[in-house]
Amino acid sequence: MNELSIGQQVELEYGDKATVTGIIGSGGQGKVYAVDYNGRKWALKWYDITKINDPDQFRENIKKNINDGAPSNKFLWPQYLTKVCEDGTFGYLMDLKPESFDAFTDILNTYKLKIDPLTGQAVRQPVRFTDLRAMVTAAINISNAFRQLHRVGKSYQDLNDGGFFINVDTGAVLVCDCDNIAPDGSNFGIGGKPGYMAPEIVRGIAKPDVQTDKYSLAVVLFKLLFRGDPLEGQKVVKDVCLTEAAELKHYGAEAVFVYDPENVSNRPVRGIHDNVIKFWKMYPDYIKDAFIKSFTVGLTDTNKRIIENEWQKMFIRLRSEIISCPCGRTNYACMFEMEDRLTYRCPKCGMTFATLEFSGRDNRMPLYIGSRFYQCEIDPDSEDYAAVAGMLVENKLKPGVLGIRNCSELTWNARMPDGEFHKVAPGKGCPIWQGLEIDFGKVTAKI
Amino acid sequence: MNNINDAAEERSVMNDKIQNSSAVDNTDPFDFDDDPLGATGVSRKSLVIFFMIDTSGSMKGTKIGELNTIMEELIPEIRRVGEADTEVKVAVLTFSTDVKWMYPEPIPIEEFEWVRLNASGVTSMGAAFKELSSRMSRNSFLNSPSLSFAPVIFLMTDGYPSDDYEEGLKALSVNSWYKFGLKAALGIGNEANDDMLAEFTGSADTVVHAYSGNQLAQMIKIVAVTASQIGSKSMTLSDQAEAELSDEDVYASKQKMLGQQIQNLVNQNENDNTDFDAGW
Repeated sequence: MNELSIGQQVELEYGDKATVTGIIGSGGQGKVYAVDYNGRKWALKWYDITKINDPDQFRENIKKNINDGAPSNKFLWPQYLTKVCEDGTFGYLMDLKPESFDAFTDILNTYKLKIDPLTGQAVRQPVRFTDLRAMVTAAINISNAFRQLHRVGKSYQDLNDGGFFINVDTGAVLVCDCDNIAPDGSNFGIGGKPGYMAPEIVRGIAKPDVQTDKYSLAVVLFKLLFRGDPLEGQKVVKDVCLTEAAELKHYGAEAVFVYDPENVSNRPVRGIHDNVIKFWKMYPDYIKDAFIKSFTVGLTDTNKRIIENEWQKMFIRLRSEIISCPCGRTNYACMFEMEDRLTYRCPKCGMTFATLEFSGRDNRMPLYIGSRFYQCEIDPDSEDYAAVAGMLVENKLKPGVLGIRNCSELTWNARMPDGEFHKVAPGKGCPIWQGLEIDFGKVTAKI
Repeated sequence: MNNINDAAEERSVMNDKIQNSSAVDNTDPFDFDDDPLGATGVSRKSLVIFFMIDTSGSMKGTKIGELNTIMEELIPEIRRVGEADTEVKVAVLTFSTDVKWMYPEPIPIEEFEWVRLNASGVTSMGAAFKELSSRMSRNSFLNSPSLSFAPVIFLMTDGYPSDDYEEGLKALSVNSWYKFGLKAALGIGNEANDDMLAEFTGSADTVVHAYSGNQLAQMIKIVAVTASQIGSKSMTLSDQAEAELSDEDVYASKQKMLGQQIQNLVNQNENDNTDFDAGW
């Protein structure tokens, strides 16, 4: 049973049955169906076992992953195996992705297709991040998901754009296709997706592991931010046709990063790689340097690849440097001018922004109505990258007076304009003034 | 690789021109659209799927009727096959007494609408090969400004060519796009000659045969879906040995992979003789 039909029943490992209600999509190793089981809806991944080298071993690995459980709630993890059919086919149940999440593939395309049920015609619906913070939060969450996975000693092996669902309003991330995840060092036959595979896999001299995951993670992050292929530039486009030999060359032994500072042969081409050309100018050096390192020395020296924790720290910093100017311009601080050491200025409208200094950090956070910091920024042990801890607001009782509202669950200590420290309970706030200092507990901040 | 190389040179000249003209516009660093969310879709590699369909008189009746319906259903099913990496376009070439394109140029698969075909006349397959060869060029159908994958070429026929197909095939065989393309063929009914089809695809593995309407639907789907996915889907490691791959190792590896996958699926379907009430 290579394919299932609607209404068909599939027997689960422990005897219950799930009923196929629809088809969701297809991948390189099989198809995903919608099924009813136990009074609710699930997704069923059903394998084309001809595309799996050793189905028994593959199934055992999924079983082990089910028993181990997901590293965190960022994974759409396998939940129940089905029985093996007479012809050897099988599958597993996992949670359906929530409606509010879009496929990363659709984000890259900037649209998804909705099928009109009457005409069967496909209609394009835009898919875009609604907020720059949401995009950077997605980068933090993706890095963190792989940090969590690698911390439990496993590797993903097939990291690509098809493996994520993202909420474009919040940046929340769900990692799907978790079936090739295996203990680091084990591989059950998967190679990866062209364009995302580490050069040593393309060249045939290595198999997927934690080190190749790190490479693929850099590709995913590059595509998220710069919306293009890190290795496809002039040198590759000149070949016109990407034959097998060309793929081996440009994504393997002779791979060149499009912004390699020492090799200009593969720069992005105007008219084809406009996104990369445009966005590369907008990012601060520490982000660009991380990608340069990933795709220059990191191409061959696997130990030079950026570890997830580093990405995570960089993106937390990047998010704190976003400025939304009242003139409508939203961008990173590096795209604003410095009025003086402590103040940013909008190059378009001239608006200035004071900054807040946090302990243990080199960068200062720009202040404007709506600017915010997150739980992970005031508590280094927190893994909550989405919870806002403090936000800059206007006092409702005193219009024109700006302050920081405590959105966290902790009570802060802040130096108020009387020069004394006072408690700031959750839901309360403190005005912004020249001598402002806030003690969050493990972290302090001052103007 | 003459066709491809000439075109490449032309391109790089074009690139130089574009880059020179843009060198002056960098005076004001903020004088450009600087919204970090203002992205257009990622640049996709282009893939054209060519369907070459026999519409000679012998296809008349249920054969062409079934084929029309299968193709109408197939196109929407493979709409998202390119994902974020490949822009898939479809071109349909029919051959009977005359050789005709369904549309004057390849159409993106998301917009493609199947025009039902009629069958009559003789089988000018050789002329069809020549026509295909003339269109598979940077100056014609394969004119995407971005990078392309070699095309997928899927031939469907129920009979023997009535013209000199070998001459046409000779013309086609020097075309680099054909040489590197993924070729598959489907013989319909008893008259179709699998050896001749293997000459076209270059290997017997990528030739399948359908004797009934049900098989026709299965085979078209297997070949079209498998062929259009190779290159854009995650793949299994073909070789267990960890040795550096050379150009020779990877030469025509996609065509070989296509052959293997088609044969696996075909065998699986042939073995699937289970009764409906069995196995529950």
